Amino acid sequence: MATTTASISIASPDIISGMGLNYSKSKVLCKAGVCTGLEKIQSGTREYLATGAVELLDESVVTTDGANKVYIKNLSTDATEYFEIAIQSEVLGRLWAGDWMFIPWSAGGSNNITVNPSVATSMKLEYVVVHE
Amino acid sequence: MATTTASFTLSSSDIAASPVNVSTSSTLYKAGVTTGLEQCDIARRILLTSETSILDLISAQTAGATGGAYTIDKANKVYICNSSTSDTDFVLITINAEPIGRLYAGDWMFFPWGPDHATNSDIRITAASQTSTVTIDYMVIGQRNEA
Repeated sequence: MATTTASISIASPDIISGMGLNYSKSKVLCKAGVCTGLEKIQSGTREYLATGAVELLDESVVTTDGANKVYIKNLSTDATEYFEIAIQSEVLGRLWAGDWMFIPWSAGGSNNITVNPSVATSMKLEYVVVHE
Repeated sequence: MATTTASFTLSSSDIAASPVNVSTSSTLYKAGVTTGLEQCDIARRILLTSETSILDLISAQTAGATGGAYTIDKANKVYICNSSTSDTDFVLITINAEPIGRLYAGDWMFFPWGPDHATNSDIRITAASQTSTVTIDYMVIGQRNEA
């Protein structure tokens, strides 16, 4: 088994008046329902030269209802540019320039992950999938 | 404006032939600009073992309603963590009945949230088979009711 750790920290000195926000969480990524570490990984970068929703990750590459995890980052540096992220037909939200996301992914049932760049001028992203 | 940063690391010495180290940090800005997000909601919800049906965790709310609305064109961010400790227990996260994924004990997620009010884009949780009380910590940093 492999040992893979995902950590987040969210910090702000001023989003709440008089009280700093300093939150962190770290988790070893385990298979569904057990303490055995996830053992498979794939990663890549993509560049998009046209707008319109396109598939980034096909659900068939991972185990349905597993404890799969997906990381995506918008590599754009133009604050006005975003990727619209969706699972099947459901839009999660817009990943603006420099933003990143990390989610569990059930896959199965055609729950492919799609991205839709806001402009056709060479938007790039990077992604990592850790799965069973 | 407030300054809020979200940092992420993913590391493993043995999941691939070479060590994996992903590290990034972003300042959380409003949509399309470099002005920091200013609104924050932090909460904890505890689900009893009897609460096995699908439940609203975070409501998108209707524009103009008390509490304001989250909308698809903004840069809202959502953090959710299953702070339970039982390895077998999980909560299924869904948006508009679309399954996103399972959060097992200790698992967390952080993602952009842009509710489409043409559908019901509330964030829901289902702890259908938990063996013990489930504790969910969550946070929304966003642009509720902003023009």
